[in-house]
Amino acid sequence: MKVVILTITLLLSGCTMFVPVKRNFPEAPVTLMVKCPQLETVQGDKVAITDMLKTIVNNYRLYYECSNRVEGWGDWYVEQKKIFDSVK
Amino acid sequence: MWLLNWLPNWIFYAMGLIGVLTLVVTYFIKFLPIPFVYMYKTPLQLLSIAMIVIGTFMAGAIYDNEAWLARVKELEAQVAESEKKSVEKNVEIVEKIVHKEKVIKEKGDDIIKYIDREIVKKEEVIKYIENCPVPKDIIDAHNAAAAMGKK
Repeated sequence: MKVVILTITLLLSGCTMFVPVKRNFPEAPVTLMVKCPQLETVQGDKVAITDMLKTIVNNYRLYYECSNRVEGWGDWYVEQKKIFDSVK
Repeated sequence: MWLLNWLPNWIFYAMGLIGVLTLVVTYFIKFLPIPFVYMYKTPLQLLSIAMIVIGTFMAGAIYDNEAWLARVKELEAQVAESEKKSVEKNVEIVEKIVHKEKVIKEKGDDIIKYIDREIVKKEEVIKYIENCPVPKDIIDAHNAAAAMGKK
């Protein structure tokens, strides 16, 4: 009985196969990691309409810079997933 | 398979071959002029069959092991290639983002410059600035909207 158990154990040990291939999670670019800045506020009590306009323009710019990075994250994900899935 | 890491492959092929040869020899053992060998015929046959079984099994295991090792090598090459592609793609994405950010900054600066250069000099604007400063309530509402994402 012991011999049978030992033989079966030896034979089945052939089935313990694992694939030692390690995959690293892709590094995200540092540019994408930059946090979106706070929007600017208008300072002062007596504010000219042009100063307010400049603040608004700056805030639009900050928004577009931030949305650009968010789109970058989307691109990064899609491209990295394509590359990841190509390994079969 | 752990056994294949310990012993060279040829041992198992030799075991199978010796098993076959021994089995064949046992059928001719009666023709040998040595009588006491004949009494070992059955144990030898059993032993040779066991050797053939183990040899055949291990030949299959060697084939399977080599197929897996080849697959591992293929995967390692694919992973290395994908890591290279990933880095290249990152560079491409960063270049695209940096370029677009530069364009956005330039356009924003152009609009600010246009305000300073043209709009503030227009007579109706000058008049408006002199007579109508932006009411504090509107500034507060704007500031509250700009700060709504602050923690």
